[in-house]
Amino acid sequence: MAHLRALSNRAAADAGAAAPVISVRNLRMGYGSRVLLDNASFDVYRGEIMVILGGSGSGKSSLMKNIIGLYRPMAGDILIDGRSLVTAGADERAQLQRRLGVMYQSGALFGSLNLLENVRFPLDQFTTLALPEKNLTARMLLRQVEMGHAESLMPGELSGGMLKRAGIARAMALGCDILLLDEPSAGLDPITGANLDRTILSLRRNLGFTFVVVTHELQSILAIADRAIMLDPASRSIIAEGKPAELRDRSPDPRVRQFFNRQPDAGRQQAAS
Amino acid sequence: MTSTTSGQGIELRLEGRVTAYTAAPIWQSAVDTLTRNPDRPVVVDASRLEYVDDVGIAFLFDLVRRERPAGAKVEIRELAPNLATLVRAFDPKDFAAPPPGRRPTGILEQMGRAAARQIAYAKQMAVFLGACAAALRQALTRRGVLNWGDVLDIATEAGANAVPIVLLVGFLMGLIIAFEIGLVARQFGAVIFVVNGVGIAMLRELGALMTAIVFAGRTGAAFAAQIGTQKVNEEVNAITTFGIDPIHFLVLPRLIAAMLVVPLLTVLADIVGIFGGALVMASFDIGFVQFYYQLLEAVSAGDFILGIVKAAVFGLTIAAVGCQRGLATGSGAASVGLSATSTVVTSIVLIVVIDGLFAIATS
Repeated sequence: MAHLRALSNRAAADAGAAAPVISVRNLRMGYGSRVLLDNASFDVYRGEIMVILGGSGSGKSSLMKNIIGLYRPMAGDILIDGRSLVTAGADERAQLQRRLGVMYQSGALFGSLNLLENVRFPLDQFTTLALPEKNLTARMLLRQVEMGHAESLMPGELSGGMLKRAGIARAMALGCDILLLDEPSAGLDPITGANLDRTILSLRRNLGFTFVVVTHELQSILAIADRAIMLDPASRSIIAEGKPAELRDRSPDPRVRQFFNRQPDAGRQQAAS
Repeated sequence: MTSTTSGQGIELRLEGRVTAYTAAPIWQSAVDTLTRNPDRPVVVDASRLEYVDDVGIAFLFDLVRRERPAGAKVEIRELAPNLATLVRAFDPKDFAAPPPGRRPTGILEQMGRAAARQIAYAKQMAVFLGACAAALRQALTRRGVLNWGDVLDIATEAGANAVPIVLLVGFLMGLIIAFEIGLVARQFGAVIFVVNGVGIAMLRELGALMTAIVFAGRTGAAFAAQIGTQKVNEEVNAITTFGIDPIHFLVLPRLIAAMLVVPLLTVLADIVGIFGGALVMASFDIGFVQFYYQLLEAVSAGDFILGIVKAAVFGLTIAAVGCQRGLATGSGAASVGLSATSTVVTSIVLIVVIDGLFAIATS
């Protein structure tokens, strides 16, 4: 683990960050009496793309929901730019949450609004921009995620992949410089997925956005991630942290290598042969 | 942002942060400057810009995309290369068309669309009722079509759990009817005939009607919501791909359970309603014994049977409407709620219409 931490610190230094924008400290999270993750700590630095990965049911999406303040952790703390989300009052909590742009797994668009209105929604709620200005901003955001042709469509008329892309556009509307994406590539065809990866990298390069991406799409992880942490449901802990390519090639943990090399479990391997 | 005149042109100097929260006055002021100076070149000095977000990028793009005469163009100078890349990534031609808006619909168009929707709904309902009738015939003539365990579970939930509210509503209904008629009848010395009124009203009409209205609000809406949620979650698709007819699996048990349960609940409502009437009559000095004998003279077995038959028809109607609305649920967050409320409204309207038809048929 010390070896992995060394990898992690070098990667963090490479990201060119000083203080982290997101700090998770000794987090315990779960549902009811069921603990999914215990005593987890990691940092996300400004301008880096951090990927949270792990098998199905490892708690990736739940971890993200704890970070954005939808769920209260059982123990530990979550800091956004040094300010605690867990102990913040209602107003401060709302302020901290508005710093985070979130794309949910299914897009979470509002069914009664068309795509343009959906992306414009945060601008309508929190800015004093005139309608033509808001419309232009929203249209440009949709074009950034290659959804400009669909601005008049309703969410019910879109595929899952299109909903995700529109969800990313909406997440960026208020200029949140920390974006959290829950399974952005799931359900996308390879070309669209690659285009989305390109958009994420472009936003980081040109606007300095910080990304936390929950995914288990290996190609996307290797394409975009500066660092990754891997959750393990059995041990309920973070079992790896570092650059994805290094984890794939040099991790001492066989579970990590199995994940990155997409190998079935040993029993199933024998049954198949 | 500051605006200065230099020679023939205008210089707009941007400073600090241009973000979603700060851009509004800057953007408006810049657009006003451009509008007031349509024939002069404009230079936007971005050297002191500290930070822009997507709204800031949209603002800069908006300045350069505006059509102006040659020699009066807008030029952005000393913009950071990464931001300049983002601004240049957009083509003004892509934004030439106006954004989509919602077309206002007049009252006539709304009425026409509502009428078309009702006609389409009537057609759907007719097809659905045909499928239900076929399924019912199969259930009665073939074994294994109907799962009586499901019927029992639904009847328990819809029936047994509705007993408290039916008892309350039935009791209050008998109480109120007896009181209202009694106040009038007392003026004519005909209080004893209030017993006739309460008995006939409860057994022929109010017992079945009020029970059905409670059933529609409680159980009809629940049927629509349950099946609607299953539709949205693609569970109905899963049932179909197993080769199981959703009408047999989901609808038929509910229809039969409702036909059995609503008459039973109606009997309870009749009993407590008449009891409520008896209590009120006691206050008018008509004792329970006298009430009982007067009731036996006033009502007949036919009145009771009519009420029970109506109750069965109401139950069938409510379940059919609830199941049909559930199966017709669309996508989206509001769709299940719309199905549930539509079920209640449609059921109540149909119950009253059917009650009227019964009144005509039995007159």
